[in-house]
Amino acid sequence: MWRTFYLLRAGRLLLAHWRLVVLLALTGVVGASAGCSRVADMALAVPGTEQPSNFPSMVYGLAKNPPDAATFALGRRLFYDPRLSSDGTVSCGSCHRAEAAFSHEGHRLSPGVGSRLATRNVPALQNLRWRQGFMADGGVLGLELQALAPLTSPLEMNMPLANALARLNADAEYQRQFAAIYGPGPIDTPQFLRALAQFVASLTSANSRYDKYVRHEADGKLSAQEVSGLLTFKAKCGSCHATDLFTDERFHNNGLDRTFAADSGRAHITSQPAHRGLFKVPSLRNVARTAPYMHDGRFATLAQVLAHYDHGVQPSPTLDPLLRSPSGRLGIALSSAEQADLLAFLTTLTDNDFLTDRRLAPPQ
Amino acid sequence: MWAPVQFSIAKHFPMKNRRLLLPVFFALIAATSWLIGCKKDADSQPTVGTVSFEMANMVGSKDLALDGTVYTTASGETFTVSTFKYYLSNIKFTKADGSTYAAPGEYHLVDAARASSTNFTISNVPTGNYTGVSFVVGVDSTTTKGDPLALPGDLNPANAMYWTWASGHIFLKLEGTATSGSAPNPITCHVGGYRAPYSAIVTASPSLNGNTLVVRANQSPKIRFSADVLKMFDGNSPGSHVALSTFQEIMMPSTRAVQIAQNYAAGMFAVNSVQAN
Repeated sequence: MWRTFYLLRAGRLLLAHWRLVVLLALTGVVGASAGCSRVADMALAVPGTEQPSNFPSMVYGLAKNPPDAATFALGRRLFYDPRLSSDGTVSCGSCHRAEAAFSHEGHRLSPGVGSRLATRNVPALQNLRWRQGFMADGGVLGLELQALAPLTSPLEMNMPLANALARLNADAEYQRQFAAIYGPGPIDTPQFLRALAQFVASLTSANSRYDKYVRHEADGKLSAQEVSGLLTFKAKCGSCHATDLFTDERFHNNGLDRTFAADSGRAHITSQPAHRGLFKVPSLRNVARTAPYMHDGRFATLAQVLAHYDHGVQPSPTLDPLLRSPSGRLGIALSSAEQADLLAFLTTLTDNDFLTDRRLAPPQ
Repeated sequence: MWAPVQFSIAKHFPMKNRRLLLPVFFALIAATSWLIGCKKDADSQPTVGTVSFEMANMVGSKDLALDGTVYTTASGETFTVSTFKYYLSNIKFTKADGSTYAAPGEYHLVDAARASSTNFTISNVPTGNYTGVSFVVGVDSTTTKGDPLALPGDLNPANAMYWTWASGHIFLKLEGTATSGSAPNPITCHVGGYRAPYSAIVTASPSLNGNTLVVRANQSPKIRFSADVLKMFDGNSPGSHVALSTFQEIMMPSTRAVQIAQNYAAGMFAVNSVQAN
């Protein structure tokens, strides 16, 4: 419907300025090749628009919201603007820190407006173009919609969407920026969410030492211990932390608790008893920089996480079958040598290019 | 018309080219009959009309006001209302022979705080005599799961009728305060959800009370409905009563949300009148 609206509006503009259109069309024929390369340049100016060769194909493809430098810059501004919270103190970037792969390193739970604590650990934001759904419970169905959850949550930015739009529309600079991209008229829901999505979709981490290793690139060297850790990882962790995104994008109960009164996970969305205690498998990219761990941030270190899988797994009716061996033993047996190797391997997933990319940092 | 054509035939088509005339002649006949056919279709086409809906939001026999007016339930509990909003969609009209017309793309948010939202029209209803009407109170699952950025006005998430944590619309929202308990009890009732076992997508089929909705090209009837808030808390079945003084907030799909949806589907909407024009 919005598309129809824009098409209609475009149609009216074309009719009104038909002489200009004819002139442009004639010029376009001459300058077609130059135009094409300009579009490509625009996309290149936006980070994270390329398909890494070791990744699956994108879910949120470039065509869904064609990247360009102006919209990316606008999305970046929105991401770091605390005026999008009710009391003007909390931006998306307050809790999603670039240097921590857009997680909130060191915070089990993070404060929103009025220092209210949200209920889950801040997840890292990276490689979102490849995600099937969002949130630890999969409640949010698309990337463009994701921002609405923290924006409107009373525990986070506490900002009804209509109020956020009113605040943007009252700002002359935002008006100018939006109008330059989407045309004149009030800033509306699709414009706001698509501009923001251009920024978060650009957060691509694909240049860790591990990536260079699997792509056989020049400095893609792993130590003997790291390779050993990689082999253990593939054998014992890779069925859930699958592909080079290190997640199967599915929901599993990894044995954190026996009951799930505090947070029922996927069942919070589906109301299915079989989904109680199931959470989305997180990616492990930059995992050494995204502590603490689990949906509630209960583990401060990766060593604690490995200890949990080795001997801390709790039984419950929905525990993932992969964590229950035929003998009845729960968890994944990991010797201390294997744990040391895994810890070494996991550090190879740190992508310093991504963590220090100035284009993704707060605008100066 | 014909004379100059014949004249030009003689003038412009020498004998050796006359063979071309036959196909041209047939083509002309075909084009003419197509044009006549179109005209005939337009004459006999079952034309369409417009039906207006007017919603009067009530509490029992009183008009709903959001100004702190105290209302009383059948069981003697008192309460005030600050917000009352709901979607009406998937509107269907039924004829006496059982055939139906389903109006496509109709999604209307009725908001007691916005007078203009209580009137809307459904256009392109095929002319005929209808004896029944039904509508979904809420939004169908296909639409509510769809991309809300591609959805028009009333479905826009900026209307605060959208669950941002579990993508999908809130179908009906009632907020207020129960005042008859030992202390004021907030009433926060957000009904939504499209997944089994707690799907709250319900259809209301209020009786036209024996009236016929006569839709003609030049006749745009209006149905005046009332929507009675009290019926949310009392349905037809045993166990459907919901007490207000002990009301616990409903902000996600649940058995209680489904009970309230069944209550309002069964009895909230009534047809006050069917006006011919």
